[in-house]
Amino acid sequence: MRNCIITFRSVTPAQRAEEVLHRAGVECTLQRTPKWMEEKGCGYSVRLQREDLMAAAVLLRQAGIGFRKAYALADSGAPEELRL
Amino acid sequence: MIYLDNGATSFHKPETVSGAMRCALENCANPGRGGYTAAMAAAKTVLRCRERAGELFCCSPEQVVFTHNCTHGLNIAIASLVKPGARVVISGFEHNAVTRPLYAREAKVKVAGRKLFDWQDTLEDFENALKAGADAAVFTHVSNVFGYILPVYEMAALCKRYGVPFVVDAAQSAGILPVDLQKLGADFVAMPGHKGLLGPQGTGILLCGREPVPLIQGGTGSLSAQQAMPDFLPDMAEAGTLNVPGIAGLSAGIAYVQQEGVDRIFRREQQQAEKCGKALLKLGLRAFTGDHQAGTVSFVPPIDCEDAAHILGEGGIAVRAGLHCAPLAHESAGTLDTGTVRVSYGHDAAAWQTGSFLLQMEKLLARS
Repeated sequence: MRNCIITFRSVTPAQRAEEVLHRAGVECTLQRTPKWMEEKGCGYSVRLQREDLMAAAVLLRQAGIGFRKAYALADSGAPEELRL
Repeated sequence: MIYLDNGATSFHKPETVSGAMRCALENCANPGRGGYTAAMAAAKTVLRCRERAGELFCCSPEQVVFTHNCTHGLNIAIASLVKPGARVVISGFEHNAVTRPLYAREAKVKVAGRKLFDWQDTLEDFENALKAGADAAVFTHVSNVFGYILPVYEMAALCKRYGVPFVVDAAQSAGILPVDLQKLGADFVAMPGHKGLLGPQGTGILLCGREPVPLIQGGTGSLSAQQAMPDFLPDMAEAGTLNVPGIAGLSAGIAYVQQEGVDRIFRREQQQAEKCGKALLKLGLRAFTGDHQAGTVSFVPPIDCEDAAHILGEGGIAVRAGLHCAPLAHESAGTLDTGTVRVSYGHDAAAWQTGSFLLQMEKLLARS
């Protein structure tokens, strides 16, 4: 289950992140960032599995793609902000 | 029609360009504004073009800003670097797209390097002007009137040596000569999408070596809750909805250029321009030819240049006459009073085009 979300400030870095992760074999989905996650309003994010999160963060940093925040969603849907 | 006005715009585009535009019109909504399929298809189309341009011009996709045309890009670049009254060094072959924005900002302009096809003169004069003190430099890669290829990499090195920020106008070189943002170390490189990159009109690219000052403000699909424009590329310079069908066509044009090869396209154009220039000289005309010349040749006909272009047009040859929006270049070459007729080749340059043009020229000379 894709229960983690990494947020980006706009569509371009989010798309590039999706490409980098796909190329590395990390399954993810590009989506709009839920409104409550983005206090500055409007952004895009990638949704992925919790076990891929650390690897994804490393891949994105290596590719020079900046991200804003990462969240884990509990089964209840409750979010927890993660420090990467 | 034999089209020899590629300096104004490329006319015979690869078929994939119109195909990509149609595809975008039918499948793409607004990029960066939604998460549904058609919005994401638009975002994907735009990103693909950024990536292709980044590959071709040696920069990251984020450094590729889409503009309406080269002039738009130059205006952003000049507004970012040139404060009112600043001292700016330009070459003797600049287009009005450079000189008019500088004039509007009341820049103190120093023109450096006015001899055609003479790299030594260009570089010596340019260095002297930088030494004398400059706040910025703006120079063209290739003269749109004479096809003179300026030594931009050497000029860039001089700017770096004297700590002067600079802009390169790649209007006539993008897609035809190597344009490498990293190697140049330029603050900005502006280019049209519809000339050597074979995209549709209404497209352009500004390569950003630094963050630009936005010319316009508005929605970007990002950080919508804040009133200040985003402070990151490309959003900071792309307010409002992008020209997605145009960008789709531009992407296809760039893909064609990448597949064909910049070197091969240049050689094809340059060979015909050289052949054409030599033939015009043989006909006794004042034609401008020399080393470091791209696929463009200008000449002074024995009759008014506009009349000559009109007669050639009646004979099926499309060329441009007049000052070509570059009075400074004509002043440098001594053709401000007469103007010139310009023959400019494109990616499909071929010997039969030159032959047909020369045949019509012989007819024109026999009439006059």
